[in-house]
Amino acid sequence: MQKLKPDKDNKQERMNFVEYWAEFVKNNPDKVWSKQQNLLINSQIKNAQNFKISRKDYLEMKKK
Amino acid sequence: MKFLDKNTIKLDKELNELDKIVLDFVKILERHVKYVIVSGYVSLLFGRARATEDIDIFIEEISKDKFTALSKDLEKKYWCLNSDDVNEIYDYLNSGLPIRIAVKDQTIPNFEIKFAKTLLNKDSLKDTITVKTQLGKIKISSLERQIAFKKYYLKSDKDLEDAKHIEKLFKEKIDYKKIENYKRLIENAKT
Repeated sequence: MQKLKPDKDNKQERMNFVEYWAEFVKNNPDKVWSKQQNLLINSQIKNAQNFKISRKDYLEMKKK
Repeated sequence: MKFLDKNTIKLDKELNELDKIVLDFVKILERHVKYVIVSGYVSLLFGRARATEDIDIFIEEISKDKFTALSKDLEKKYWCLNSDDVNEIYDYLNSGLPIRIAVKDQTIPNFEIKFAKTLLNKDSLKDTITVKTQLGKIKISSLERQIAFKKYYLKSDKDLEDAKHIEKLFKEKIDYKKIENYKRLIENAKT
């Protein structure tokens, strides 16, 4: 697997990481990459469940 | 992940909490209406390393009676963030507005649902891929449609990154002529 290319431009650096990670997903079994992805997603869901916001406030926030 | 045929992908991933919520929700949805998941969650399903607060879904236009039955089925576990009145919710959908549905007493993650009213949106209900997971099936829009909308319509940094992820991952499977066709349709729809 190719190493991640650094870049001074933040946008380009992010895109390099997207390509790097997609390459990892492509070349590894689903169970391997999903374990790593799940750390991120499961923690977001846990945070969301603890983050109490009313329906009204949430929709107001989305309008902005 | 592997293609079982042109329109079916088998995904062996360890399902995360978001996947489980989506699978539970679409099991109810598909009992009542044709649906397709579009946009960000499609990239996440295939491994994109980012979080999301909503899952975008198009459903076919259905009658108020059918929608009421769907609503009754959903309300055992979910609530609508926009209203508790089924008539009002239906009116929103009918006038082309999206509604948001989440697990009761929660707001995030939520399902942003729209009636497929435009030709392009209606088309997305026909051009789908079924993703088979250990806990059920999920219908998503075609990869080409996904890439075209992210690259040529939505165009934010996040959307361009989502498109890149899908493009890189399925490089050998993507029909680039189809992306070009979608690009033209998107540009024509804008003018």
